[in-house]
Amino acid sequence: MALALLAGFQGHIRERLIAETPHLTVRPEGRGEFLPADGLEEKISQLPGVLRVTPFVRGRVWVTQSSRSTPADAIGREGLSGIVMDPPLAGALALLPGVEVTLVSSRTRLSPLGPVPIVLSLPLSGIVPPVTSRRKPELELPIAEARRLMALPLDAASGYEIRMKDPRDPSRMAEEIRLCAGRGVSVSTWEDSNRPLVAALKLEKIVLFTTISLIVIVAGLNLAAITAVLAATRAGDAAVLAVLGAPPSTVGRVFLAAGVLLGLAGTAGGAVFGTTLAHVLDRFRLIPLPTRLYSIDHVPFRLEPADLAAVVVLSCVWSVLVALGPSRAVARMNTVEVLRANG
Amino acid sequence: MPTVDPLLKAEAISKSFGSGDSLVKVFESVDLTVLPGDFVAIMGPSGCGKSTLLHLLAGLDDPDSGVVAVEGRSWQGRSLEERARMRGETIGFVFQFHHLLPELSVEENVALPLLLAGWKEERALGEARECLDRVGMMPRHSAFPRTLSGGERQRTALARAVVRKPRLLLCDEPTGSLDAAHAAEVFELLTVVARERAGAVVVVTHDRAWARRCATMLHLAAGGLNPSVEDGPPGAPYGNPGPSGSR
Repeated sequence: MALALLAGFQGHIRERLIAETPHLTVRPEGRGEFLPADGLEEKISQLPGVLRVTPFVRGRVWVTQSSRSTPADAIGREGLSGIVMDPPLAGALALLPGVEVTLVSSRTRLSPLGPVPIVLSLPLSGIVPPVTSRRKPELELPIAEARRLMALPLDAASGYEIRMKDPRDPSRMAEEIRLCAGRGVSVSTWEDSNRPLVAALKLEKIVLFTTISLIVIVAGLNLAAITAVLAATRAGDAAVLAVLGAPPSTVGRVFLAAGVLLGLAGTAGGAVFGTTLAHVLDRFRLIPLPTRLYSIDHVPFRLEPADLAAVVVLSCVWSVLVALGPSRAVARMNTVEVLRANG
Repeated sequence: MPTVDPLLKAEAISKSFGSGDSLVKVFESVDLTVLPGDFVAIMGPSGCGKSTLLHLLAGLDDPDSGVVAVEGRSWQGRSLEERARMRGETIGFVFQFHHLLPELSVEENVALPLLLAGWKEERALGEARECLDRVGMMPRHSAFPRTLSGGERQRTALARAVVRKPRLLLCDEPTGSLDAAHAAEVFELLTVVARERAGAVVVVTHDRAWARRCATMLHLAAGGLNPSVEDGPPGAPYGNPGPSGSR
């Protein structure tokens, strides 16, 4: 259940990351931008597994409004009609959607008075929270305006954002693009872009699995106690088996089987109950979440077969290990003493 | 007269419990020879070591000194695994209390020694039913021990003891937990079934009347195992009479 809950939330976060961040980002190394003459966009588009390649333009700007101004990372993308910015950035400048925002570039253009900064005014079309935390505030603007702001030639790009058909394993595609593009190109995956978060998710899973392992171990010790009590209370029967001709190894195996069967029954029961409950809770969205606070309206449960298999295997192996001690003790018991004690 | 190899031979066996000041000598220098067909009753006061002697004869415990051999093979020096295999092949055991396994039905309890010996379940149950038929328990073959009377439980235990047709049947006060009527019934069955399915019988009993009907009646005391003064009554002795009996 706990792993299904974690997998549900982590799956949701990963899906959002995959949906809202580029799967791969290709940037030039040692030069300012890609040009159409490079033919890189077309080469990447033709690679199998690539869904879409879109250029972007990135640079630093000052965002000004009235007498206030603040620096920000600006990124120009296709399909935008105005500026979209993070809430902290909008808040710092007391901006609301629809107002005209002035962007001052770090690049300059030559005027009769000498080099002057490139200035651009655009309406603020939206304030959208970022998917992941960023070190610096960011704003998006139409790519054509971004090219003007950054003094780039027409059709030039600071890089390409790539969406893949199957983004679960971006590293392989990143390698293919590196081979295809040759030197002077760096490729980062969505996992690289969100490295702290991805690492935190992995760490969270390790911690939870360790916790569950400890729970299984404690439950296993309980099983050991039950098997020990069983061995003590049924020692008379074990002695009778020995008198009837059962070798100690057979007597031990009987009690080992009893302990292991108890463990397996508990494991199977827990697995079936947990699987069913997780499925029902997720299917019928029985635990709602306030959408004001969370990006999802219910607590998600996702049962990963590998997680289930790991817990089941751990539980089964531990059941065998803890049942070994009491079963060995029964196998080594003094039959005569037990017979005397049991009349 | 042809020589008959003894089925069981105990020579000068002694047993004590504890050590130092708390050492309790149970018996010393006990000799016993059991031939095929013997029916030996061992009597003695409580605490004289009758059950301990049976445990030694069955290879469940080791004597402090002396040797116990079954069919010429000594228990001493054998591993627990070997002893268990030997015991299963040659010895049947009836306890004072039935010691039936409560989770198993009557026929499963009786078939247990055969299953432990590796018999197929179907064949073992068939043999168990045959035994149950001999002790009159066939109508209750599928019942569980908790639903049986004391006499029925002991008859079932008797069937379990003889199901592998043991060469030697050891009985530790088999009627000790029964009333007189049931005790007589079980003793009669024991003699009949033992004659059919077991080679020789050694019974520890307090029932003097029944013991007197055995071919050999021995008395266990601290000094050893001696023929009872009431040994060998004429009439209806069980087992080999006279000189070929146990000594």
